[in-house]
Amino acid sequence: MNKRVLIGTLVAGALAATSLQAEDSVFVGHLADLSGPTAFVGKNYADGIRDAMSYINSHGGINGTGLEFETIDYAYKVPQAIASYKKWVSRNNMVAMQGWGTADTEALISFVAKDKVPVYSASYSGHLTDPTGKNPKTQKPAPYNFFYGASYSDGCRALVQWAAEDWKNRGGSGSPKFTHVGDNHPYPNAPKEACAEYATELGFEVMPPIVVSMKPGDFKAQCLSLKDSGSNYAYIANLGGSVVSLVKSCGTVGTDVQFMSNIWGGDKPIFEAAGAGVKDYIFPAMTPFWEDDAPGMSLVREISRESDASGNAFRSHHYMRGICSAYYMKEAMEWAKENGGITGENIKQGMYARQNWVPKGLEGVCLPATWSSEDHRGINTVNIYKGNYNGGDIKVERVTQVTLPRREDWLGY
Amino acid sequence: MSTVSLRPCGDFRTSYAADSTIFETRFTRYLAVAGILLLCLAPLVLDAYFLTLGIQVAYLGIAALGLNILVGFTGQISLGHGAFFGFGAFASAWLHNSFGIPVFFCIPLAGYMTMVVGMIFGSPAARIKGLYLAVATLAAQFILEDFFARADWFTGGSYGASAPPVNLFGYEFTNDQSFWYIALFALVTMYLWGTNLMRTRDGRAFVAVRDHYLSAEIMGINLTKYRLLSFGVSSFYAGIGGALYGHYLGFVSAEGFTILMSIQFLAMIIIGGLGSVKGALLGTIFMVMLPEVLEGIVGLLSATSWGNSTAFTDGLAYLKEMSIGLVIILFLIFEPQGLAHRWQQIKAYWKFYPFSY
Repeated sequence: MNKRVLIGTLVAGALAATSLQAEDSVFVGHLADLSGPTAFVGKNYADGIRDAMSYINSHGGINGTGLEFETIDYAYKVPQAIASYKKWVSRNNMVAMQGWGTADTEALISFVAKDKVPVYSASYSGHLTDPTGKNPKTQKPAPYNFFYGASYSDGCRALVQWAAEDWKNRGGSGSPKFTHVGDNHPYPNAPKEACAEYATELGFEVMPPIVVSMKPGDFKAQCLSLKDSGSNYAYIANLGGSVVSLVKSCGTVGTDVQFMSNIWGGDKPIFEAAGAGVKDYIFPAMTPFWEDDAPGMSLVREISRESDASGNAFRSHHYMRGICSAYYMKEAMEWAKENGGITGENIKQGMYARQNWVPKGLEGVCLPATWSSEDHRGINTVNIYKGNYNGGDIKVERVTQVTLPRREDWLGY
Repeated sequence: MSTVSLRPCGDFRTSYAADSTIFETRFTRYLAVAGILLLCLAPLVLDAYFLTLGIQVAYLGIAALGLNILVGFTGQISLGHGAFFGFGAFASAWLHNSFGIPVFFCIPLAGYMTMVVGMIFGSPAARIKGLYLAVATLAAQFILEDFFARADWFTGGSYGASAPPVNLFGYEFTNDQSFWYIALFALVTMYLWGTNLMRTRDGRAFVAVRDHYLSAEIMGINLTKYRLLSFGVSSFYAGIGGALYGHYLGFVSAEGFTILMSIQFLAMIIIGGLGSVKGALLGTIFMVMLPEVLEGIVGLLSATSWGNSTAFTDGLAYLKEMSIGLVIILFLIFEPQGLAHRWQQIKAYWKFYPFSY
């Protein structure tokens, strides 16, 4: 009899605990690449997400509702990403997910649309921006996919626009030559055509792309072809070690080309590793840098203390993008809570509720964003920065800000 | 009494049919049928997480069996299996998107298309072997990977291709519960077929080619034909597995089918047991479950207060990756014949209990 009472109490207690938990918190899954091929930047971004979510939790959560989250290092392996996603959906009643790479985000498109779980990825692939499949080129509409930042295609278009101006300012005559440099792989290829089309529109002569492996190596041969082609502007579509090798190799060969990179290809650790080869290196960014003085940076520094009590650790701008991604989700959740409860569907509606919107406290850090049910290009503004090595004293300065038109034919492309 | 046993006590086989039976006793046959019937009930009890693991075991297991037929039974080597798996996924999506063929038929057709591609890349096997063949198949991996990224008309290039769900008489197998049956049906069919293949003349020829190619040739086995056939069968399996994978996800992107995937398939058959149909399945289950179990342990540790620090969880992430490598090394040292062999030993132990022999 005693045993029965005991078991009864335990069961009742467990039930009460789970129901309490269900009321007080919502579950957010977090996929991160901490040990896989993209861990070079994946770790920084994941730290940003994780710190932001812990900070939100320790400061009142979503108006009183806690964020229960789990970070899983899926090492860029799609099957593991799917398994983790399924676990979260079926066991934790996940309402939103913070994702990472292109391969896993694309693999999950159909699942998240069916389960109505908004996914905030760090893949800025242009074809995640068409929620309805309006553009005939869209393979698969992605109604539940969001990301904070300009798409890879828009990032590249902004750089091309800058390059056109730059060519004029330098007094260049004739049509400048533009080359895409990157691996033959979906991630570097994502903006290739879109960017080449816009470059042609702006009067560039688009050269045949140069294939450079995503894995670091000796790229002198490719640099020689770049030199021989007489390219004036080269867009680097890879990331991490590959970019470092490329810049070094081209430095040795002595190419006279203006390098521009995508959002993952330009940051301080890369400049430190590449060394003297970095000269007037142009790259886009969606946030200020660690040393910059923007009103929202005080909140960023506070968030950073979640995993670094001293507050001295350097954070790259990928970390700040992680924070922005988490905070847009947070405010969409707040809207959802006031408008029928924090469910995946309401969070999605929350993303559409405001226009030109910056999360509270992050003014000057996150760029004003607008999502709509027809258009998931949250950001169409790109800040363009210039990096110089200067014998070890790395100098990064903002060159300009480009705002791209929201052209219909660019949606999902 | 002997029917209620997993293993016959003594050798009572008096006919060729008895010698090449799939199930050694009637009891194991009943057990297998009951097991499959139980698996049919799985969607009623298991949640999407377990189902997704089961579905992964199915599509990866089919491809792994293909590789085992090539490597384990025929003694050839392939480092391009991941790319063939990807080719199957793209081929099935392409067949449906371009010609409107129902997905149910696209899957076997994709298997045949992959078979053709596999035989083209496997043709050097007619002349070369060992390390040279390994490098030739490695080339297949890189050529196909590049092809996936370039051939917009076939794969959608960097955009990838959408692969609609399986549709049967108007019913769409979109969720895990329903797709489970497709996966189970494919798994059982392909494994039965694989087992049967090994009992046929062709299957015995494969084994003869592996065991001693000169003797096989002297016996009248056409080496070129069987080496090529083995590549064909192996790629057919990879294509079917890939097609299932594509239609399960609904979207195929070239990023996943790298050399790492090919190596993972090799790991599956080595851990499971080379030259064993059962081994291919056991190895796949092992490789699918291992990261999940390790993730579970990492999760449990990071739930503790001391285990929740960033440095600790980051460290654990690396530890997890390393332990997968460690397990593979330990298998090679202590269980070179794989899980299938260990299973035989467990059965023998219980048969002879309490005597060790």
